[in-house]
Amino acid sequence: MNEVLIERGAALAGAIVVGVTAIFQLKNDWAAKGVDALVTKILLGLMAAGCVLALLAAVNVLGARAS
Amino acid sequence: MHAGPSTTHDTHAVHDHIHPAPEGFIRKYVFSLDHKVIGLQYFFTGIFLLLIAGSFAELVRLQLTKPEGAIMSHNAYNEMFTMHGTAMVWMVLIPLVTGAIGNFVMPLQIGARDVAFPWLNMVSFWILPVAALILFSSMLFGGPHAGWTEYPPISLADGTAGALWCMAIFVIGISSTMTGLNFMVTIMKMRAPGMTWTRMPLFTWATFATALMNMVATVALSAAVGALFLEHVFNVPFFDASRGGSAVLFEHMFWFYSHPAVYIFIIPAFGVMSEVLPVFSRKPIFGYKMIAFSSMAIAILAFTVWAHHMFPSGLAPWLQLPFMILTYAIGIPTGIKVFSWMATLWGGRIHFTTAMMYALGFLITFTFGGITGVFLASVPVDLHMHGTYFVVGHFHYVVAGGAVMGFLAAIPFWYPKATGRLMSEKLGQLSFWLFFLGLNGTFLPMHWLGLEGMPRRYASYIDFAKSNPDAQFWNQFETVASFLMVASFAVLVFNIVWSIKHGKVAGINPWGARTLEWTISSPPPYYNFKKIPYVYNRPYDFDQPLPYRNTDNELDDYPQFGKVLMPTPTPAGV
Amino acid sequence: MAAAVQTLDGHEAVAARYHDVDPVYAETRDLRLTGFVLFLLSDCVLFASFIFAYVYLRVSAPVWPPFIGGHQLPWFDTSFAAFNSIVLFGSGVTMHFALENWKHLNKRKFNLWLIATIVLGIGFLLGQAHEYSVVGISWSGSTMGASFFTLTGMHGFHVFIGVCYLTILAFQANRGVYTGSKYFGLTAGTLYWHFVDVVWVALFFLFYLW
Repeated sequence: MNEVLIERGAALAGAIVVGVTAIFQLKNDWAAKGVDALVTKILLGLMAAGCVLALLAAVNVLGARAS
Repeated sequence: MHAGPSTTHDTHAVHDHIHPAPEGFIRKYVFSLDHKVIGLQYFFTGIFLLLIAGSFAELVRLQLTKPEGAIMSHNAYNEMFTMHGTAMVWMVLIPLVTGAIGNFVMPLQIGARDVAFPWLNMVSFWILPVAALILFSSMLFGGPHAGWTEYPPISLADGTAGALWCMAIFVIGISSTMTGLNFMVTIMKMRAPGMTWTRMPLFTWATFATALMNMVATVALSAAVGALFLEHVFNVPFFDASRGGSAVLFEHMFWFYSHPAVYIFIIPAFGVMSEVLPVFSRKPIFGYKMIAFSSMAIAILAFTVWAHHMFPSGLAPWLQLPFMILTYAIGIPTGIKVFSWMATLWGGRIHFTTAMMYALGFLITFTFGGITGVFLASVPVDLHMHGTYFVVGHFHYVVAGGAVMGFLAAIPFWYPKATGRLMSEKLGQLSFWLFFLGLNGTFLPMHWLGLEGMPRRYASYIDFAKSNPDAQFWNQFETVASFLMVASFAVLVFNIVWSIKHGKVAGINPWGARTLEWTISSPPPYYNFKKIPYVYNRPYDFDQPLPYRNTDNELDDYPQFGKVLMPTPTPAGV
Repeated sequence: MAAAVQTLDGHEAVAARYHDVDPVYAETRDLRLTGFVLFLLSDCVLFASFIFAYVYLRVSAPVWPPFIGGHQLPWFDTSFAAFNSIVLFGSGVTMHFALENWKHLNKRKFNLWLIATIVLGIGFLLGQAHEYSVVGISWSGSTMGASFFTLTGMHGFHVFIGVCYLTILAFQANRGVYTGSKYFGLTAGTLYWHFVDVVWVALFFLFYLW
């Protein structure tokens, strides 16, 4: 139980830090041109969405199983 | 260490990319990086494998001369038609139409010195013989028996042979994917200046559509056969219904690739038609844009119709209907092409060369196969016909009468560019008529046999022959006709070999064609173009001067002759 | 700008976009970048096919997780996976920092962020190894195990390749293979690494949250 709490706490904190950083990187890169920049923006955006998923999982909104 | 901006222009790096002519037999003809040599390697390997796969088909036809099966056990029969289908689809047709013709012609047509990734191109080719060896080695382990689709659960009984089959298809799939990727980048990025998308030759358009399908769809096939391989070797339950898997899942994954696959054969043949017909009608192609865009439309629609192969699998009715409608919709771009070609012929001065004969034959047989395809798109008709010879007849009209016919038209058309000599016209006409008569004689009777209910993939048709006394006659007729095709290929191969030495010297442009490959010498030098030409119009207006500036013929004193920049042929880029 | 140098395919425009690079490099870079993006696209189809297989098997199963030998298989452990996901997503962010610092010619910070990325990538792989050891289902035991181990195994293999790739890049960058304007390998490595992250987003959702 304790272990689960540590994992969830770490995931929550990490999701906030990583997600916010990813969004800032996205914002900084927004004006960049070229195929590489475009693909990077798409992938960073999806990764930020992944951080949101991880955050929701950490607070047990998503992935809560009836066990 | 060197992380500073390089302000001075580094000329040394430029000269690193200037490649001298390849030297030595190995570099020139074996591990060649030249797209033309690789195209010819594909060509000869593909023709060799075609003879093997064709001989399997002849064994199948011989077996069917008697209702109870004439020459081999039922097990051997299953193995033969499985190997025939597999080898023809993956080892012969796709390498021939995309690898051979596409590789040889496409970079020449867009005015490029090579494909974008020459090293990758070489690897793509050398995967083919390896995959063919793996495929044929499966026959040493009893051979696969479940047909070229290898549906589980039947294919799961094939054991080692089935696993080898999966491995061969996976490996050749990697080659197709890499070729597709290579061609996509080449066409997107390496067209000669001035060659906008709507100035591209139509064969290049067709190659682009094909490359798109090759790149996207082949990976899905790799996933399907990869999963089947895991099930064979590690007993992982994807498709075994007794353990929660689903055989229909395999059909979905398989046909998501394999429906585009039939367009992968046929669209390059469409491209060949669009080059051959205007040249030998001496008339601008009718409806350039419609032909170009219909190739793309077919390529995109191809991904939305796969389940029409699965109507009898118990697909939900609400799914059957959209797949039926979308399949009908594919008839529209195909019809646009056929009508555009006919309008191109209309009023033209038609030259009945061998290539043109094949092209006209294509128009007849492909259109016939296309129309029976529209029959089969209809769910009620398909449910009735799916397991019969009608499907075999339809498929072979489209593939042998379409893709192979287009490929055969391409051989005499581009042979002079590849070798510098024309193929024998007399032998060419002979091989055309043998092929055309043999094709129709073999596959036309299959339609009425199928309508009467002759089941496909059966090693014997005793029950069917009891209710249809003429069944044996027509099957023997087909077998005799199929040997006309064998004779045609014998003449063709002889012609190819004989004409290398004895053909008439072709010169730069024997046909009066107008695409870029006909502005350079035959055979072209390793760098193709001394100077990259500038394109200012489409290549199909026969009453206009050639739409190029900067071609070799106009400018002979190119100062850097022999120092041309080629795409960097390294395995890994930095 | 050496206008006299004939470019690879006669295009001046591509070369002009990267004016401090020699035109041949600019064009080669352009080709490779396009090729690499198309490669990622086809790789995407590979994962999409197996994801389709998983979704198909799961939707058509009467109950999920399936019953094997009379008892139901366990669900996956969401909390550890959420933690491990963050390790991987964090490596995506550090990789991005590494490339940014390269572009701003800060070699020291580039090295630090790149090493952080590699360490996080290895951390994720160790986490996956732990996950495999405690997950309680087997590869060949059920459709759930089949899709789980095949998909995460393929992804793990991609991460492993990525870690090797980034390690090679680290050595190359410090040996002077890349210069201030010629660093396509680093761009490709970054794109690949982001791609691997994003695949994990899909897998994380489909296996742990759905």
